[in-house]
Amino acid sequence: MKGTRARDIIFITLIIFAITILAIPTLLGALSSIPPIDLRTIAINYLNNTYNPFNQTLWTSSPEAVAAIVWDYRGLDTLFETVVFYSAIVAALALYREILGEKDILKGKGLSVIVQRATAVSMVGILVVGFATILHGQLTPGGGFQGGAIAAVTSVIAIVVFSRLIIDKSRLSYKRLLLIRNAALVGIALIAIIPIIPFMFGDHTFLSFIFQNQVKAVNSFSYPQIIVDVPMGGSIWFYNLFEGLAVITAFSLAIIVVFYSEELSRKTIEGGEIGF
Amino acid sequence: MNMDVELINWIVIIIGQILITIGVFCDFVAALLMIRFPNFYIRLHALTIGSIGGAVVPAVGAALIAIGSPFLGTFRWFLAGGALVVALFIFILGGAGSHAIARATYRAKIVEYRPCYIDQLAEDIGEDGC
Repeated sequence: MKGTRARDIIFITLIIFAITILAIPTLLGALSSIPPIDLRTIAINYLNNTYNPFNQTLWTSSPEAVAAIVWDYRGLDTLFETVVFYSAIVAALALYREILGEKDILKGKGLSVIVQRATAVSMVGILVVGFATILHGQLTPGGGFQGGAIAAVTSVIAIVVFSRLIIDKSRLSYKRLLLIRNAALVGIALIAIIPIIPFMFGDHTFLSFIFQNQVKAVNSFSYPQIIVDVPMGGSIWFYNLFEGLAVITAFSLAIIVVFYSEELSRKTIEGGEIGF
Repeated sequence: MNMDVELINWIVIIIGQILITIGVFCDFVAALLMIRFPNFYIRLHALTIGSIGGAVVPAVGAALIAIGSPFLGTFRWFLAGGALVVALFIFILGGAGSHAIARATYRAKIVEYRPCYIDQLAEDIGEDGC
């Protein structure tokens, strides 16, 4: 007991020390004045241009400036983030390549009926919130990745509550999830290169940009700006949709693979020793 | 006509405030009983007092207060709808969650069950009660 007491005192002292080290420079203004008093020029530019129907030379038709920056002004950066995420999931799946798509041995029953019914009701709610976040990405905070992560919670809950058997029984098999995910990623690529397709097929007078969203000075190509009275954000809506689908399926795949029973997943771990 | 609407707003707001007061009382009682109750299963009762009486009831009260506040404009319907949906989901999941906790604890037999007066579940399964 003496040892733990001394350890506690040392631990508390260290925490107080660390907080002080962080707090004193902040108080002395090492991070400059918080919050800044005036807007920086880059912020002024984004605020002026993002949703400006009266000067459409650089606008995105998306009232949500963050979504506009992420998927339009620096869209290529987000594309490569998506590629990184895609490769990470591919690597995670490659570790389990021996057993991918196999049916599990265990026949679990899941939790009790009461929990299953309550979960079934709330799963619908989670999916609705997730898809609302995805499809309103150009209007409200959030977007493809965030909404996809919310909706992917349903697959975790489903596996825990209904047992793994529900995945083997349902129509969302490994191959179909993979198909949806690849289709979504092809969708992102297509939305990015649709503006330059006329140029690729020989119409050299049609100048346009990869990742072009709204009309620019050199051409008249534009994704849908406003449908009825809702600003659609042009390509941003499509990017959010496809990114959301890709994220839902990617997380679901990773979770399905992680939740294999021990007998099956041991195969992959023992692989090296047996000599695959 | 205008007076009637104002009166209804006042009544709705007062009902909402009463519900929130009930919620505060339930939260206080739940916190107190969580310490005072003797064993795990009875403390679970205090937990559900906190989640149903202390969260669902005040959420409905907040919805009523939002409905009765015309100065919020159209947004009061969004606030009320959000509060009611939250109340519905907590109502469903609070009960199911405490049921899952109790069931898992009972089956794992990790909790000392004393003082024990009656154990009907054990009698149903065919084991000795208490």
